[in-house]
Amino acid sequence: MNCQEVRDLIPLYLYGELSFDEEERVERHLASCAACAAERARCEKLTLLLGEGEAGVSAELLARCRRDLAAALEKERRRRGWAALRRFWTEWVVSPPMWLRPVGAMAMLALGFFGARMLPEDAAVLGPLARSSPPAVVGKVRLVDTTDRGEVRVQYEEIRPRELRGSFQDERIRRLLLAAANDPTDPGVRVESIDLLKNRTADAEVRRALINALRTDENAGVRLKALEALRPYAHEPETRQALAQVLLDEKHVAVRMAAVEMLADVQEPDVAGALQQLLHREEDQYVRQRTLKALAAMKASYGTF
Amino acid sequence: MEPGATLAIEGGARASARRDACMDEAATIRAAQSGDAEAFERLVRSYDQQVLRLAMNLLRNPDDAHDVYQETFLRVFRNLGSFRFDCSFSTWVYRIATNLCLDLLRKRKVRRTEPAAVETGEGVMDRLEAVPEARPAGDPQRAALNGELRAVIEKALDGLTPRERTVFELRHYQGMRLKEIGEALGASEEAAKNCLFRATQKMRQALGEFL
Repeated sequence: MNCQEVRDLIPLYLYGELSFDEEERVERHLASCAACAAERARCEKLTLLLGEGEAGVSAELLARCRRDLAAALEKERRRRGWAALRRFWTEWVVSPPMWLRPVGAMAMLALGFFGARMLPEDAAVLGPLARSSPPAVVGKVRLVDTTDRGEVRVQYEEIRPRELRGSFQDERIRRLLLAAANDPTDPGVRVESIDLLKNRTADAEVRRALINALRTDENAGVRLKALEALRPYAHEPETRQALAQVLLDEKHVAVRMAAVEMLADVQEPDVAGALQQLLHREEDQYVRQRTLKALAAMKASYGTF
Repeated sequence: MEPGATLAIEGGARASARRDACMDEAATIRAAQSGDAEAFERLVRSYDQQVLRLAMNLLRNPDDAHDVYQETFLRVFRNLGSFRFDCSFSTWVYRIATNLCLDLLRKRKVRRTEPAAVETGEGVMDRLEAVPEARPAGDPQRAALNGELRAVIEKALDGLTPRERTVFELRHYQGMRLKEIGEALGASEEAAKNCLFRATQKMRQALGEFL
């Protein structure tokens, strides 16, 4: 394998897309050719740099997509239901096949006759319909062994989807929303829950959950949503402290900007200190300008002493 | 027990877990095919974040990504009855989503003229706002470099043909194997490999100054 052939294969080698033999030949060449080894290092750096270009998905966008899809599916199901009913009505009731007409007449007659005779007199005509439970998903098998009688014993956890409807006053709804606001697997669910909780910020536990989301959530959209929900409580020490931390640690410009906006209305000495610190390290021009404006309104100096 | 034996057992357990997951998914698909709305919801939730990320990466526009997301899952819903397990469900979903993205990419070759900020349901949003931002605390030079780098990557991605771009995004950002990419695009693995090769060559050329 010559140098040019190896260099052509390096990107595929780094993606792990070469056959065993090709990989072997490339590695042998790289071990003995400094120029190609340098090219491999450059390609590795390229792969690393390209990570910068990955577009993230905001939690708001995911939530919007899910909401709109649910509405579109509902419409689709209704349309499908009506179409099926219309087809059934046309094909089997309005103009049934010729062979079916006498059979249908006899069946209807028999059904009426025997139905009336077979039903017990004291039975409710329409008993409660048995509701089948939704199918469960096996979450985790906890234990597998055999019993003395040679049976296999499997103990497992079961995950079964449930639906709960109710008002915000319902304690179970409140608990579930608080849990969902911290669900690490789904930013869409987190942002939706926080959106619902924002009207319940009078509840100290809700505020604590929002502060926790603001401090720790990995998704900028969720953090921004939590921050907006906390706006009426920006003057409270705990919230103020969290906002000050946002100024110093937050990676996302939009969240830092929103935090500055909120703190600008709070005339407290510790806020001025946090804004001064931010000014010291902030690179974004808009955030800097807004911070300067807020400090000027507080009649505070721009620097820290 | 020998170390090799432990590894074999762990490997077996992993394979078994994968098999169980596949069986669970097959059961969920069958339930959804017979009209179980909750099962369909579970299928959507299993793939929707990947589909949205793919659309966002390829189209770099939240509204277009939203449209592709909707259309993908509506098509899945409408055609689920005809899914016969000939390929994996994920390949099928990716095939629908990538074809929709490819159509959109082919239709618009004017992305360079689009504004940097777009109006969304949540207000004005910068296109690059969703890009994870590595905040270079106290280092304005690095911040400028990152901004410049992102702009160069955007421009280089724009320079790829829709097919090259799709293959590149699927391999680089979605982590799909070339075989799966070929299946999703209705092409051979070899064709996907050639596309990826051309794309990486172009990206390397465009980012030469940073290497």
